Amino acid sequence: MSQKTKLWDQHLLLVLVAFALLVFVAGCRPKGSGGSGSTTGPDEKPPQANQPAGPPPSSILAGRTLHNPPALSATGGDASQAVAAFIDWAGASLPEEHEDGRKALEAARGNKDVVKAFADEITKAQRTDHSRALLALALLGELRSPDAEQFLREFVNQPFPTEGHKTTEGEIIEQTALGTLQAKAIDGLAYLNSPGANEEVLTQVSKHPSIIVRSEAISAYLWNQKDKEAARRTLLQRVLKGEERYIDQITRVEGERAGSFNPKLEAYLKAHPEVVPPAPEYEKERRQEQSNDRNLNPGNPPKY
Amino acid sequence: MNSRKKALCVVLWLACFSGAAFAVCNQSNSSQAERDLWNQHGCWQDFFLWQYRAYDARASNWSNRGFFDACNVNLEYPKHWNASYLLTYKLNDNNDQSFHGTIDYRATAEAAGSNFHNGFFHLAIDDNSVYGAFTPPDQVKTSCPLYDNNTPTANNNPASRAGDFMHEGWHAWLRKYNWNNGDCGGHRCSGCSFGSCDYFYFHGISQYVFGAMWENNGTASRFHSPNQVQVEFLCDVADQSSAPSSVKTAARADANARSAARFINGPGYRCGDPRPW
Repeated sequence: MSQKTKLWDQHLLLVLVAFALLVFVAGCRPKGSGGSGSTTGPDEKPPQANQPAGPPPSSILAGRTLHNPPALSATGGDASQAVAAFIDWAGASLPEEHEDGRKALEAARGNKDVVKAFADEITKAQRTDHSRALLALALLGELRSPDAEQFLREFVNQPFPTEGHKTTEGEIIEQTALGTLQAKAIDGLAYLNSPGANEEVLTQVSKHPSIIVRSEAISAYLWNQKDKEAARRTLLQRVLKGEERYIDQITRVEGERAGSFNPKLEAYLKAHPEVVPPAPEYEKERRQEQSNDRNLNPGNPPKY
Repeated sequence: MNSRKKALCVVLWLACFSGAAFAVCNQSNSSQAERDLWNQHGCWQDFFLWQYRAYDARASNWSNRGFFDACNVNLEYPKHWNASYLLTYKLNDNNDQSFHGTIDYRATAEAAGSNFHNGFFHLAIDDNSVYGAFTPPDQVKTSCPLYDNNTPTANNNPASRAGDFMHEGWHAWLRKYNWNNGDCGGHRCSGCSFGSCDYFYFHGISQYVFGAMWENNGTASRFHSPNQVQVEFLCDVADQSSAPSSVKTAARADANARSAARFINGPGYRCGDPRPW
């Protein structure tokens, strides 16, 4: 009996180890390693939703009330709620509503409680939602309130991380995340155009560890100064060696046409012949690959 | 411990280990830009039933990422098709103002082989060390920093995700035509702020008719690099689209950061004036 049990145990052990190995190998197979030929059954399954289909986007957009930003007139504790609602509205707003938002912000310029509520929202969103923090910084900058200067200055001087999630390309993701937010804070400072704010912007032109912020500081300072030639001279004294070209960076502004943009580009390339890249190179060995097209024939996307 | 118990332990341990290999990025929430775009279509089912074929998004790759819960905006597959929605419908396509047209950006991102690239398919990977990758011959991968709202990333929004479709799609273009863009993941190894840099091949507006972005003349006067295509797409979202403001703001920030930091002969184009909003 005990010998029988032992034999059974050995068989069971073998079966279990074999099963375990199968599970293990399946688990180690990278997701997506199906390759181009993996046209097996499960891959043919369409995606599904747990909700019934709704109306097409054209109906949703047609049902929206446009040009109706929430008021920013609240004070005290109510300002927080008003600012949160305004950020929600602004994020979802369409290009044709942009001026409505700007007018609402201009009307709230003197409201210190609104400034504080924006600052609080930015601080909160910086930890949880980059896109909201970026948007709220943009709105606070657009508010153009002298009361926002201190917060914006502190924001651009937040310590820049030296470590974090490093990509294989050598980018530290936390640096880019903070750098893009600080660049937006720079826009707000330059738009204030006060002596203190301008000095902060010029300081960041040379001192900030990220080219993302230095570059924005150059553009923002130049754009906000009436006397462009004087601004250029000031910037030339402040930019880091090798970054002078950023003063002349080509900008395509919203709505700009080829007739305006192309001559600017020509002038830039003439002034900076060093930016013309070398001719592209072929690989040493020419490949001739067959296209792994599965010919799924999706047809045209559905009508909007 | 008898042998049966030992075997059971081995099975459980290995099963747990294999489960860890399947771990996915954090899918518990989404950014404001994600939701603002999403609310414009309210989860348009006709679109994702087209998108999964146009992008060759397969159930085997996406099943634990919302493929079967495609209206849950916190999950990766819904975020993937949300980015596709942006580039399929939201660009203005103004020939006198846009760098390129929807036809160019769609052909770069979608799976079908064309003048833009050989056929490929889209999948997601769980890797915080890349935004995305093109793995020859046919895999376009996107990763956690483009989806995950808990990673401290600037790129978990539909504009940056669609921008990465351009970037990886352009690696496929380089591959199709045998161009050597460098030895560091398909980029030059030095010359900009990172160890992965491109040249910017400047061109004016209207110099490429819509549909002709794939063309080149073998010289620097008519050519594109992956980061450049990405910047031009993001600029068109920022300045030439009907996307919601949070998406346009994120697109502009990504484009300008990339333009400032990624080019050997940079900066590339700047998108929009520096007015805050």
